[in-house]
Amino acid sequence: MKKYPRWPVHLALLATSFVMLVPFYWVLKTSVSGENIFSYPPNIIPRDPNPFYYVDVWYAIPFARFFLNSVVVSVMTIAANVVLNAMAGYSLTQSFRGKGIVLMLLLSCMMIPFQTTIIPAYLITGKLGLLDSYLGLALPMFSTIICIFVFKASFDAVPRSLIDAAKIDGLSEWKIIWKVMMPLAKSAMATNVILSFIWSWNNFMWPLIATRSADMQTLPLGLARFMSYQEDSTGALYAFCIMVLAPGILLFLLAQKEFVQGLTSGATKG
Amino acid sequence: MSDEDFPCPRWKRLLLNQFVLVPAVLILITIGWNLWIVTHDHGIVAGRVLDAAGAPVEGAEVKLWVFNFTTFVVKASTVTRPDGSFEFANNPSHNIQVSADKPGMGRSARVPIRLYFASQDFVLTDPLRLTGGT
Amino acid sequence: MVMAVSETAMRRPHFMVRKSTRRAVLIWSFLAPSLLVFFLYRILPLGWNVLLSFQAWSPMKPAVFIGLDNYQEVLFDDEVFWQALWNTLGIIGSAPIGIAIALGLALLVNSDIRGRDIYRTLIFLSYPLMTVAVAIIWRWMFDERVGLINYVARMLDIVDKPIPFLNSFTWALPSVIAANIWQMLGFYMIIVLTGLQNIPGNLYEAAAIDGANAFRRFLRITLPLLRPSIFLCFVIGMLNSVTSFDLVYVMTAGGPGRATEILVTYIYRLAFTQTRFDYAAAVTVIFFLLLLAVTWTVNRLSGGNAGAVELDG
Repeated sequence: MKKYPRWPVHLALLATSFVMLVPFYWVLKTSVSGENIFSYPPNIIPRDPNPFYYVDVWYAIPFARFFLNSVVVSVMTIAANVVLNAMAGYSLTQSFRGKGIVLMLLLSCMMIPFQTTIIPAYLITGKLGLLDSYLGLALPMFSTIICIFVFKASFDAVPRSLIDAAKIDGLSEWKIIWKVMMPLAKSAMATNVILSFIWSWNNFMWPLIATRSADMQTLPLGLARFMSYQEDSTGALYAFCIMVLAPGILLFLLAQKEFVQGLTSGATKG
Repeated sequence: MSDEDFPCPRWKRLLLNQFVLVPAVLILITIGWNLWIVTHDHGIVAGRVLDAAGAPVEGAEVKLWVFNFTTFVVKASTVTRPDGSFEFANNPSHNIQVSADKPGMGRSARVPIRLYFASQDFVLTDPLRLTGGT
Repeated sequence: MVMAVSETAMRRPHFMVRKSTRRAVLIWSFLAPSLLVFFLYRILPLGWNVLLSFQAWSPMKPAVFIGLDNYQEVLFDDEVFWQALWNTLGIIGSAPIGIAIALGLALLVNSDIRGRDIYRTLIFLSYPLMTVAVAIIWRWMFDERVGLINYVARMLDIVDKPIPFLNSFTWALPSVIAANIWQMLGFYMIIVLTGLQNIPGNLYEAAAIDGANAFRRFLRITLPLLRPSIFLCFVIGMLNSVTSFDLVYVMTAGGPGRATEILVTYIYRLAFTQTRFDYAAAVTVIFFLLLLAVTWTVNRLSGGNAGAVELDG
């Protein structure tokens, strides 16, 4: 292969990275200095940085309560997701009557986006008496098809010989799952945890529909409400943005590999 | 990755795993911060009042303004002691201002004080200076 | 022979029959919770929407079957619906822009440079963010007085006066689309990158030996073999952008006027602000059919079978 100069590639990629990162930097800068709300021309380096907008946000809205709500719903979602998806993924590796129908059903469910189900989902949750409760907020996200296929692929990759050896040793089905397959599906579990956390943490539309009282709201709702009732004449709104983005970014940086792997393997399943 | 056998005891590997280390550090920081808050949140705001020449002022009225949605409202007031110092006891807020005045000696500017948490104990470094007296 | 077989069948020990049914019970009980969730929140809602769209229903009164009246109102009497439909189609049509940029980025990142992992991380960083926060950030960047975009445009002398991006009928929807592309770019890039890395290198070598230059190699090898990835990007990207309720709701709330109203926000408004569940259900059914139609069209255009390609030899 002919060698070609590398610097245009670096230049293009640097320019793109710059464009992708500038919004972050800009918001960070404003959350720390409160400029650029009304001043023009804007400054590149913040003058007079102070962390007091973050303090303002903490006390202006019940941030701790919203944070707690988000955390509880996310934890419930993650726990249920891992258990349900692993079970469903395992059962799809076995052959049984009706497997084809189930597979087709799952694939077609992937084509039904959440936004087309909001009205009946609201009515069903209402009938179950779960509106405005943690369970009602988490329930629609208890299982996701992408993650089922991630688990299925991971279980399929367990060598047949291991399973046969375990069967010969007399282990029951349960023990096989627990002792042989789950340890080898660690990366699928990690992927599932991360994906379901991100989806649940960032979810805005369903909490908007399913909550009634102000103290069951989650962080995205709190952020949107904050934007509407606090005129954005201070850096507080942007401090709130940063506080809300930080967990997502932190988790992403810690777990990039699992994240990317989950998205690509689940999405480009064979 | 963590299943290779290099001579590292299992508990150590678990601890150094980034998924354990980072949350553990965050939790420790949170606990430490909360302990600091609990020991320092009596709401004490203290300072001194001096006149334009730099001498301490006794009997000046010092007001504590507290931010209330859109404006500052006077919440408490106290009088300076002979050496010009004053102290408020139960500041409930994180965004306050103090100002001092004494009839005949002028008034000071309203000094904004921003705290890291509500009712943080705070001592003003610069004294309030009264100007504009007759 | 037949007798022997049926004899063994009759003499099959009792516990073995129970074992196979026990196994079936185990498998179905594993599947049951997930299937229940999907039934409750995907399949049942779909059916209920269809049912509701043929009824007139307000929450306190019983439902009345009214046939196609809702659809008639949607299609013939509702300007907002057509505006929302038009905007939604505009968003679908703009997905290729994002995918094309992502394709270029993937090619760059895939080449042999140092730090490609860092670039990949930086570009992908925008995807896991909360869309509400992204909407607030971009709302401010597009602001007329203090937004960064206007500042840069004026600094580079592209325009004399600041452009009211989010308040103008012509610029509002493109602004929302730009914010959406910014957020999805990393995601598209990752998918295309995975597709690129799955192309066997010997194909390129063989083509190079045969005298094909880089451009021809790209056109004849890379693009066709990337068809499944591009198809996937398109479907996911389309699903994501036409359902981007968060972005539109926070950035413009459908405004100005109805310039950025998309079908999803319109459905939300109808159902939860105006409490017209039955009418909103009709719009939802039409929306769903639109999605199916677009996906099917894209599938046909990319050669059927989700764009899969067969490599021979």
